[in-house]
Amino acid sequence: MDKVSDRTTRRGARRGAHRASRQGLRRAFDRAFRRPAHRPEGQVPRRPEPSPRLSRTAVRRERKVRLGPLSHLSHAALVIWTILVVVPLAWTFLASFKSEDEIFSGAWTMPAAPRFDNWARAWDQAHVGQYFLNSVIVVAFSTFGTMLLGSMAAYVLARYRFRGNRAIYLLFVSGLAFPVYLALTPLFFVVQNIGNIPVIGPFLGLNTHGGLILVYIAYSLPFTVFFLAAFFRTLPTAVAEAAFVDGASHTRVFFQIMLPMARPGIVSVTIFNVLGQWNQYQLPLVLLSGEARDKWVLTQGIASISTSAGYDADWSALFAALSMAILPMLIIYSVFQRQIQAGLTAGAVK
Amino acid sequence: MSSTPLTRRQLLRSAVAAGTLLPFAAACATPVGGGAGGAGQAPAAGTVSAANPLGVPEGAPFEVVIFDGGFGDAYARNVHEPLFRTRHPKVRIKHTATKEVAKTLQPRFAGGNPPEFVNNSGDNAMDFGALIQDGQVADLTPLLDAPSWDDPNVKVRDTLLPTAIEFGTYDGTFHVLPYANTVWGIWYSTKLFRENGWQVPKTWDEFLALCETIKRSGRAAPFTYAGKHPFYIYETILTLAAKIGGPDVLRNIDNLADGAWAAEPLRQAAAAWAEVGAKYLMQGTAGLDHVQTQTAHNKYQVAMLPNGSWLENEQKDSTPDDFGYAMFPLPSFSSSDAMPYGTLHARPGEEYFVSARSANPRAGMEYLRAMLSKEGAGRFTEMVSTLTVVQGAEGRDLSPGLRSAAAALKAAGDNTVYFRFRQWYAELHDEVAAATGQLMNGRLTPDAWAERIQRKSDRLKNDSSVKKFQR
Amino acid sequence: MTHGRTRFIAGFLVIPVLLYLVYVISPYAQAFYIAMTNWRGVNANPEFVGLENFRRLLDDSVFWTAVGHNLLLLILLPLGTISIALFFAYLLNAGGGRRGVDGVRGSGFYRVVFFFPQVLAVAIIAVLFQQVFRPDRGGMLNGPLTALGLEPIGFLSDPRIALWSVLGVLIWQAVGFYVVLFSAGMASIPQELYEAAQIDGAGRVPMFFRVTLPLLWDTVQVGWIYLGIAALDAFAVVWVMTAEQGGPDHSTTVIAAEIYRNAFDYFKFGYASAMGVVLFFFTIAFAALAMRLSRRERIEF
Repeated sequence: MDKVSDRTTRRGARRGAHRASRQGLRRAFDRAFRRPAHRPEGQVPRRPEPSPRLSRTAVRRERKVRLGPLSHLSHAALVIWTILVVVPLAWTFLASFKSEDEIFSGAWTMPAAPRFDNWARAWDQAHVGQYFLNSVIVVAFSTFGTMLLGSMAAYVLARYRFRGNRAIYLLFVSGLAFPVYLALTPLFFVVQNIGNIPVIGPFLGLNTHGGLILVYIAYSLPFTVFFLAAFFRTLPTAVAEAAFVDGASHTRVFFQIMLPMARPGIVSVTIFNVLGQWNQYQLPLVLLSGEARDKWVLTQGIASISTSAGYDADWSALFAALSMAILPMLIIYSVFQRQIQAGLTAGAVK
Repeated sequence: MSSTPLTRRQLLRSAVAAGTLLPFAAACATPVGGGAGGAGQAPAAGTVSAANPLGVPEGAPFEVVIFDGGFGDAYARNVHEPLFRTRHPKVRIKHTATKEVAKTLQPRFAGGNPPEFVNNSGDNAMDFGALIQDGQVADLTPLLDAPSWDDPNVKVRDTLLPTAIEFGTYDGTFHVLPYANTVWGIWYSTKLFRENGWQVPKTWDEFLALCETIKRSGRAAPFTYAGKHPFYIYETILTLAAKIGGPDVLRNIDNLADGAWAAEPLRQAAAAWAEVGAKYLMQGTAGLDHVQTQTAHNKYQVAMLPNGSWLENEQKDSTPDDFGYAMFPLPSFSSSDAMPYGTLHARPGEEYFVSARSANPRAGMEYLRAMLSKEGAGRFTEMVSTLTVVQGAEGRDLSPGLRSAAAALKAAGDNTVYFRFRQWYAELHDEVAAATGQLMNGRLTPDAWAERIQRKSDRLKNDSSVKKFQR
Repeated sequence: MTHGRTRFIAGFLVIPVLLYLVYVISPYAQAFYIAMTNWRGVNANPEFVGLENFRRLLDDSVFWTAVGHNLLLLILLPLGTISIALFFAYLLNAGGGRRGVDGVRGSGFYRVVFFFPQVLAVAIIAVLFQQVFRPDRGGMLNGPLTALGLEPIGFLSDPRIALWSVLGVLIWQAVGFYVVLFSAGMASIPQELYEAAQIDGAGRVPMFFRVTLPLLWDTVQVGWIYLGIAALDAFAVVWVMTAEQGGPDHSTTVIAAEIYRNAFDYFKFGYASAMGVVLFFFTIAFAALAMRLSRRERIEF
């Protein structure tokens, strides 16, 4: 098994600390979320396990609440921020049931009768359902592609020594420093040119989901490779070496041994990528023109609705569209919040 | 940690390494030269005949893109497209409506497969100057010289108002057809004025007095404009300036002349309107868009609104039946105004063009020819309550606002003014809008306002990458 | 064990690298070239003008206003977000409890709700807040104000306030993420350290500065860099939410908005690319600065 020892020494000092905190985190979360502690084989814990008596669950059981002055302030602050977060969302939801006049005349009045036709209009004319679906499709495929390709590249770059390794690695990482806006104009033409290639062109050019997905993947690679390479480097070699001795191929080792071991990091980066790509606005704005309205993703769709609402004065439909865009995300997140929060941080904190 | 500076250097070094891969990458995909992907096609052509003077190929489709704004797009679907099909039944028309023209079409122009017929209008209209500079806009002279739709003995050229042709001419070539003849003025509700005994002001002092009266009555706010789109108020300022100083004031601005914006009439007009801005604006004006102000106008929350003659049509869904739209021209500033009372900012607007690089430009031109027929123009007027540039095609039944606008236009006679930089230089338009917004909320003095815009005008003049026009 | 090794390496690298070269490196490289032309459209031949665009950029007051705004965001966005997030994370992890150190009651609930803004796309939040900030009776904040007879606040129409509104929205969205991130970091701090500090008589505030923050420093740094890059890249909120797309009167414009406007509204691709090059150098400078400043001793525990 190749070891990139020189890189380890140079970054080893930094990595050491990161490793410690990462392990500590993982253990903390295992405790907090009651999963069996997952310790990679062959790794010596950096410090002794804290005694179970002081585990978070135990403390919680023994805890008595003391309402000192700080407690009141803390609660107040937390409540205020909760209000700040929830109120705009609730207000939007409320407004989605109001008629045009009701919105215009008072921001906080209750609607006389809930106007479900706003929602119907938003769905039909504003195509919010379509945009949502498009976003889901694009993000699903591009996240999958990013993770697959990114982990493959990161693995090779992290654990194999070969000429040009450093150059390729730095090539990827340097992408982190480049602002997307620099590339917007030429990117537009590159995608357009690709669209003109015979046979595969029509699926990958402008105004196609395929084209957008490839762009998303390419621009997510720097972060993914950077992060996962660091992660792969910290994984132990013992298991893989054993597998090689048993005659497993490199590919087998990667897919069946190293990838599962890297799960926390993979989950973490996946969530990062999903959030980032879901958020994307300027790339679809440039690559999916108004021609291909049915291919628009949610971000540009909602932004465009807000412009048309200006012309149509159909604010109630806008609020309904906003609610339609927001609610599913909130619901999905609330259901999976534990996994999302754990995944986000288990491998992410450096 | 000694690793850090090394890493930084390597980061920068990798950027250089990226550059060395340029040849390989550039071979993959370059915009320069390779971007003419779809433009290699020759435009379709059919046989020229008496019934088909422009040689539209029968059976070849074409595309019509309409700006879905103040006029909507029903006029195209229900009037012009069927009209076209009466003479060319085999031609299929693909109809697209959009509220954001540039967002929808710019990539197609860049990509070499533009639609044939474009209604380039609205806040997100494409930059005409750039399009023409790029050779994207077809020369419409063949259209002008063709026989008109209704009478083969009369050329299209002779059925149009001369200003329309003037307006569509860029660099000596007729490229763009402005279809509607729009009139700007101060709009009000005859019902509201009648009920309160308010009179239409003819001089500036009367206007200020009226504002004061309205404000005191508490019945409504005196004045507002679309704060988010300061174009509406800068148009008014420029019109007043032209009234005070004559049409050359605007011509100099269009030609990016030195010191054009420092002219005294401009300063007076700016100061006059800044005063209105300080005292008589409806609450929250600065943050409202045009529909919000127009809706407030419909609800009698504000008395006067600067706008164009498309207003009535744009608001038709929310206007009360007895509102009584009417407009009056800008009051005279003083007795020494260069132009008489009744001077209007009126000009052909609502531009349409044919893409030079589309597949079937002749069909696009033929479509224009259909629009310029008496029936096409007349029914357009009835439908969207706007006059067209086609002479003698007023239509029969005019709505109150339109009647008021038509009457004002008639009274103005030759005393109409206009400016063109809005179509020519999108950058300058943006800067004037931004500066005027600040003028109206008191943050810029009229002198500072003029100075700022002049600076932009000068920069534009010296910018070799932007094509210049003259009039 | 070297059999198939080269094939394996190449096989695993070829697609990612190819994709990356075509879609990322190639456009960046070309952008540098385009920045030195005065290209305005597809078929007009771009004329090489050397550093003319950059010279004009030096004079462009709107561009430098945008740069100023980006710098302001660069400082305030991380500062504001991280301070607020640290505060809340600390409360949620160590703000309550009697014996030992634990979070306040209901910290799980708060953590979930605080994260809500993160799952919404930025552009959607921009549209939402455009309505929240409306200056008439329909606005969420101005509605009650006008009902009470007060003057509406021009959150988006007053050039003095507009940028703060933008900053506020950006912070609103970012805080939840960092609360979760910092919470995780704090959770890994062993209780012994807190208890030791408590025995020494430390209150919660000193405990934060002497125990929590130093141990969390790595995470805070990472957060700072992410937020700094977000500040340099701000676009959606400005383009969608503000008046005149960067106004009113350029009071909220940022470099990304100016690039987009010059490229896709004015079709001045050469000039826009020159702006992009400047943004690139700013980003590199920021990354370099961040890496240098981050060379602080790490505490191992």
